[in-house]
Amino acid sequence: MSTSEESLITTEVSSERTGRSDRPDATVLAARDLDVYYGDDRALASVDVEIPEHKVTAIIGPSGCGKSTFLRCINRMNDQIAVCRVDGDLSFHGKNVYDDDVDPVALRRRVGMVFQKPNPFPKSIYDNVAYGLKIQGFDGDMDARVEEALRGAALWGEVKDQLDSSGLDLSGGQQQRLCIARAIAPDPEVILMDEPTSALDPVAASKIEDLIDELAEQYTVVIVTHNMQQAARISDKTAVFLTGGKLVEFDDTAKVFENPDEPRVEEYITGKFG
Amino acid sequence: MPREEFQRQLDTLRDDVVAMGDLVLTRYDEAIEAAATGDAGRANRVIEGDADVNERYLELEERCTQIIALQQPVAGDLRLVTASFKIITDLERIADLATNLASYGRPDSGIHPDVDVRDLAGDAGEMVSMALAAYEDEDPEACFIVADQDDALDERCERASKRVVRGLLDRQAAETHSVDESDAFAAELDEVSRALLTVRDLERVGDHAVNIAARTLYMIETDDALLY
Repeated sequence: MSTSEESLITTEVSSERTGRSDRPDATVLAARDLDVYYGDDRALASVDVEIPEHKVTAIIGPSGCGKSTFLRCINRMNDQIAVCRVDGDLSFHGKNVYDDDVDPVALRRRVGMVFQKPNPFPKSIYDNVAYGLKIQGFDGDMDARVEEALRGAALWGEVKDQLDSSGLDLSGGQQQRLCIARAIAPDPEVILMDEPTSALDPVAASKIEDLIDELAEQYTVVIVTHNMQQAARISDKTAVFLTGGKLVEFDDTAKVFENPDEPRVEEYITGKFG
Repeated sequence: MPREEFQRQLDTLRDDVVAMGDLVLTRYDEAIEAAATGDAGRANRVIEGDADVNERYLELEERCTQIIALQQPVAGDLRLVTASFKIITDLERIADLATNLASYGRPDSGIHPDVDVRDLAGDAGEMVSMALAAYEDEDPEACFIVADQDDALDERCERASKRVVRGLLDRQAAETHSVDESDAFAAELDEVSRALLTVRDLERVGDHAVNIAARTLYMIETDDALLY
């Protein structure tokens, strides 16, 4: 068993990292013939995809196409839905995350998530970032780790003098960056983002977009977005899901938006379908 | 169909680029007649009419910019807008060349007899017409035909230029010019240079036709085979 596999089962956190351009072709997540059902309804149909490491992968598609379902499969958020059933293989560094011996909590420590609406805890800015670290028993320099995470989320300069203030007192954009700081504090490898800017004004959204680009230097980012221009601006790879939970096209973002292979994808991204 | 207004804008853009092309070709035909016959009045109409072409060019350029800024086209739609943006530049330059060509004809004899201006210009104009039809009908085969025709046009232009220059050199070698005759020689030199400029500009019209075909081919099939 590799170290990567083992750390899904134990609480070990990988500390080895490579830069965005160092391993351009390494695959961190791979779906093979992945099906997801909610009761009798098939939400994902035979999805095959390889998510590259240290890249931003955007997932786009019309409402109900399964893109959020796919995102939530990656860190097993769908476990909380009783009628949800997952078939096929979804591997993280070669280890199927749905194997019986995988601890979802350990998985989520390595695969963080940021949601559509900023959801800071009703705690201080400091405690919001330190929360996950405390739960996992982190005994290092907490102040340094909090500062590192806030810097990583491009928020440190704005909050360094008010770390004891409530996270809820921040603006919407700052709250979302606080949630990103909370997500990266445990030092995950992958950050999942489910429409992270849809509740923000354009200026706050553009700050998040800039941040996503910076995050990809250290993390693999998978983002679901309804904003196709955003996908075009910020992602390296784009996956297009269409109705029926099918992944219709997955390629370099420039290729998808300039010359998609699938006529249905062309119709979707040009607004003629969906 | 969603985005009906956007689709209407794209359709109108395509129609109006073709209409600009038709206007340019009309002016070009006029220019060739002016050159071949030396009809100064006709030449002036072509030169003055260039302002209409420029105005249409600027209007279409502005429209392309607005579509990009406001509608944010992607994929095939984006290729249509960017190809149109480039093609109108080629059309505007063909119109500029038409004003040059119109001014080359002499009132008494038109263009040098060693240059069959109507024939060469007909070939170049046909290439422009075919490239525009390829753009309008999204016909990739026609794009390649235009490119092939340009090779033949280039050869014919080169032969015509050599004929003109060789004729001049032959006459110069055979004759000793007196003072009175030197005026005639200067006039012949002027005729030769206008003939060479005519050939050069017709060859450039063919090049612009190939540019239109190349952008059209990329627009249709993202095939850059004809781009330089």
